Amino acid sequence: MIEIIDLYKKFGDFSALNGLSLTVPKGSVYGLVGPNGAGKTTAIRHLTGVYRPDGGKVLVDGEPVYENPGVKEKIAYIPDEVYFFPQATMRDMAAFYRGMYPGFDSELYQRLAGAFPLEEKTPLKRFSRGMQKQAAFRLAVSLRPEVLVLDEPVDGLDPVMRRQIWGLLLSEVAERGMTVLVSSHNLRELEDVCDHVGIIHEGKTLIERSLSELQDNMVKVQLVLPEGTALPPDLDILHESRVGQVRTLILRGSSGELSAKIAAVGPLFFDLLPLTLEEIFIYELGGEDYAVRDVLL
Amino acid sequence: MIQLNHRDGRPIYEQIVEGFRKLILSGALQEGDKLPSVRELSTQLAVNPNTIQRAYRELEAEGCVYAVPAKGIFARAPGELRREKIDTLKRELRETAAQLRALGVTPEELRLELEESTND
Repeated sequence: MIEIIDLYKKFGDFSALNGLSLTVPKGSVYGLVGPNGAGKTTAIRHLTGVYRPDGGKVLVDGEPVYENPGVKEKIAYIPDEVYFFPQATMRDMAAFYRGMYPGFDSELYQRLAGAFPLEEKTPLKRFSRGMQKQAAFRLAVSLRPEVLVLDEPVDGLDPVMRRQIWGLLLSEVAERGMTVLVSSHNLRELEDVCDHVGIIHEGKTLIERSLSELQDNMVKVQLVLPEGTALPPDLDILHESRVGQVRTLILRGSSGELSAKIAAVGPLFFDLLPLTLEEIFIYELGGEDYAVRDVLL
Repeated sequence: MIQLNHRDGRPIYEQIVEGFRKLILSGALQEGDKLPSVRELSTQLAVNPNTIQRAYRELEAEGCVYAVPAKGIFARAPGELRREKIDTLKRELRETAAQLRALGVTPEELRLELEESTND
């Protein structure tokens, strides 16, 4: 379990984190999303013990991470730009990881050669970006980590490899209760693999929910009302657009209760549609003045 | 055995529930056939295990499958499910008929249409 409590971090005059709080239950896959510059990577660097918090706590299983090797050996981390030692081959890196992490499972490492067919004796720096990522995943999974932290994990990976990797990670989640925190902008993919989502903005947590709660908290409604009929008065409307007679509303609330409310005013036509994670992201941040601006060129 | 469609607006767990319903209704999954374990299906579809769990819980609540502790999830006979499906389709037929009536199709024309479609 990961707990980030009221975390503050400043770089010079710039406040990167302003009281960020996150809770990642054990065995969950947590999607950390937010606009560019929201503080995702800064939060992750605290979680992996790279940065020292200015204020607040970063706990894994109740213990602080910073300068705590006992906790850090349970955490595997794949940054967005993977790093290998100059000239190091797959084999060299495996030897290094074996020395650093007591949990390194050599037998599993050998078996993973089936999933990641990488040349063992070529310096990793000569590999393509995607193949370097594969190498990083092979090493990270071999550690049998309790917590896996991923920053933009599938950038540069082909579709087959993405599925291969997610399949592998999710089987570790199902079997051992591994906890995964993943920061990504690929919301389509997060929708499949995550069960919890946290949206952060300007160094603070905007919302944090399980994916099913999040999806049941907002709906898209298309409706046509008869002439002279008004919408039910107590709707929480996040967004409204209109084409001819057809209105499209983004409403806060569960589909069951909204459906009853709208049906009560007798619309000529109405349809409730579930929102994708991408739409939820856009409308939640729309309320925080972060939206697509119409720029004419 | 289950196909997810990302252009489908429905949540993933609903697609999984619907997929198994179809397999059971069509007889592709017979009574007593074992469904894939949560871990197997989660690995195969690259979908969160909790989502699979949720789908299985829903299928169990609907009476499509039953769980045997420490053994797995098994398909039930489709009897109940078939009856339900027939009810739903009949209701849809009634709604379609009502819409046709509203568009000015006469009851006589509807009857002919129905006879024609059930003749073969």
